[in-house]
Amino acid sequence: MKKLAMVVLSLVLLCSMVFAQAAAEANSGKTTIRVLNYIDMSEPNSANEIAQIWDKFSAEHPEIEVIREDLFNEPFHQKVEAYAAQGNLPDVMYAWPSGRSETLHKDGYLYNLKSLLERDGLDKVYSATSMADQAGKVGYVGELPNGLTATSMMFVNTKVLRENGLEMPKTYADLVAMVPVLNAKGIEVVSMDCKDAWVMQSCLFSLITGRFGGADWADRVFAGETDFADEWFVKSLTAVDNLYKDGVINRNTLSIGYGSGRGDFANGKSAFYIDGDWACASFQTDVTTGQALFAPEAQKTDIELINFPAFDGEVIHESNSAVVGTGWAIAADIDADKLEAAWTLVKFLESEYAQTWRLTTGASFPSLTTIDVAKVCEEYNLEPLVAKRSDWYNNIQVATPVIDGVLPAAVFEVINTVLQEIGLGSTTVEKGVADVNAAWHAYIGK
Amino acid sequence: MSTKIKDTNSVGSKIFKAITYVILILFALLAILPILWLIMSSFKTSQEYQLDRLGLPKGIFYKNYIEAWKRGNFGVYIINSVVYTSITTIAICILGMMSGFAFAKIPNKATKGIYASYVVGILMTLQSIMIPLFIIINQVKLYDTKLGVLIPYIGIGLPMGVYLCTEFIRSVPNALVESARIDGAPYGRIFFGIIVPMSAPVATTLAILTVSGTWNEFMLINMLTSSTKNKSLPVGIQSFAGSLSTDYGKLFASLTIGLLPMLIFYLVFRKEITKGVAAGAVKG
Repeated sequence: MKKLAMVVLSLVLLCSMVFAQAAAEANSGKTTIRVLNYIDMSEPNSANEIAQIWDKFSAEHPEIEVIREDLFNEPFHQKVEAYAAQGNLPDVMYAWPSGRSETLHKDGYLYNLKSLLERDGLDKVYSATSMADQAGKVGYVGELPNGLTATSMMFVNTKVLRENGLEMPKTYADLVAMVPVLNAKGIEVVSMDCKDAWVMQSCLFSLITGRFGGADWADRVFAGETDFADEWFVKSLTAVDNLYKDGVINRNTLSIGYGSGRGDFANGKSAFYIDGDWACASFQTDVTTGQALFAPEAQKTDIELINFPAFDGEVIHESNSAVVGTGWAIAADIDADKLEAAWTLVKFLESEYAQTWRLTTGASFPSLTTIDVAKVCEEYNLEPLVAKRSDWYNNIQVATPVIDGVLPAAVFEVINTVLQEIGLGSTTVEKGVADVNAAWHAYIGK
Repeated sequence: MSTKIKDTNSVGSKIFKAITYVILILFALLAILPILWLIMSSFKTSQEYQLDRLGLPKGIFYKNYIEAWKRGNFGVYIINSVVYTSITTIAICILGMMSGFAFAKIPNKATKGIYASYVVGILMTLQSIMIPLFIIINQVKLYDTKLGVLIPYIGIGLPMGVYLCTEFIRSVPNALVESARIDGAPYGRIFFGIIVPMSAPVATTLAILTVSGTWNEFMLINMLTSSTKNKSLPVGIQSFAGSLSTDYGKLFASLTIGLLPMLIFYLVFRKEITKGVAAGAVKG
């Protein structure tokens, strides 16, 4: 009884402390804007974002008070939906160009930033690709993107290649030829973390459909000039089927959780690893631990970034699937007196300062054409992988659509399932083609 | 009638005992090993973990705990978690027993309908009520307040509490309540004098369920609050597991930090919990 009484008394004391509210601050005449920020603290080097970005903005703009809510992952998207349902979106929010922010773009919740960009002469300062029309609306920029995201980066463990007397592959046949050599030593050729259904679709299949369908396959599909029963899509699915049948990608990759294969790749258990360009930072030094999966010295000699080698019969070469990156948006119904403050913040978040900082952490590659990446690398003494990443972007000849960035969920979810079934060997290419085409025609039928 | 006394020193009995111990040790290991592995991994850097998931740490990287505590805002979140969990648990236990007493021992024409309306709440998923709840909380100006979190927590936990308490209190003999009434005891006296002491087992079971449920709750707290001062521990823990990457070292450190209060809770109340669960198993 005494123990219980002590616990209850302690709780009462604790509650009285917690519920004690500070007196409301007097209105200081500042413009107050509400911001919904997406902060992924699991990213190496994201630790300093608050100090480097948000605190700096507050210091530079004392006339603007930012009430920031930090969220991440699913809770972020759930909260956006709830705010939208309530009709009370924050003034400024992090947004995706499509996919998870589809509702915001489609239902007109976001302010079209195009007019503000043109007014301030910024539309020419950001790269043309990042200023592309969003959500299929002509002349619409719903969110000011960090840059362009290439979704299929092929990491090469050159140490593994050297030790096994192998050369950098130029064609798919070169990869197939590596299978017996590497597998004999218990090394996989290409590793991917395919347990989550989106990974194969976003990080490799989108590139493959581009190679066989051309850069405009999505436009032609939407124009009704082709569909998913045509040769380009059949060849694309066949290429995935071959990857598994030829042993280039082990079927066991379907049981590997996303991100789990990076350590094995760094350990030399696979010669290649495929992921989006966002994975690059996870191989660099983590400021909080001072360690890296590839130490700066090893980055010079043991890791390279390449495009997936050429497929036999591909119609375009050296292409990569790319999508406008995530960025910052303003609510369409923002109060007129807050618009300028919100725009000032969005411009700061995509300014030369902020984009250079993100480049140094490896978080994203700049969309501002005024940033000289080579100079920044030298000036900040950045790790070799940052420079290699810059060269890698320069070598991409054509950008092709990312499937979940252009197709509706009703279709790309079927593609995701078909890709997993092909990986498991539980369906055929013919059946997969029929399923995807049926989903597409069901969608346009509606 | 003769009674056989079992010979506990027989070979068969010893073998049986040994097998029992082996099985119990195996189960104990199954429960303890993941916790030990978690604690061990929390002293690795994220990179070290990725390169060697099962190996012993090369050193003690205690900075994971400092970083997790600082960046995960654990100082604030732990206090909030304790407040949310304790108030919710106490409220659900008291209100659950009161409702259970009324439903089980003071029935009237409306009892069945009201009781059914409570029990239906058990079947409702959090996802289905999340957005309406968010809008209501905003409209009553309780968004981003502790009260705006506590009311839904108690409301969502109450159906299970009412159901468990009602079914348990039904097993208390009516004669006890009737005798007390004949002796002139009011319902309040009967509740505190007879029902509450006899309902200790179900209250313990309910408290265990509520404590673990509220302590780990993640969806609503994100939905109903926006500022750090009102969020709770699971938010801090989850912040190290992103959609595209995971900071393993800090995630494991934060999980260990989150685990400690529950371990302390168990160690302090282990006798009560064991007694309550055992009694609940017999009577319930």
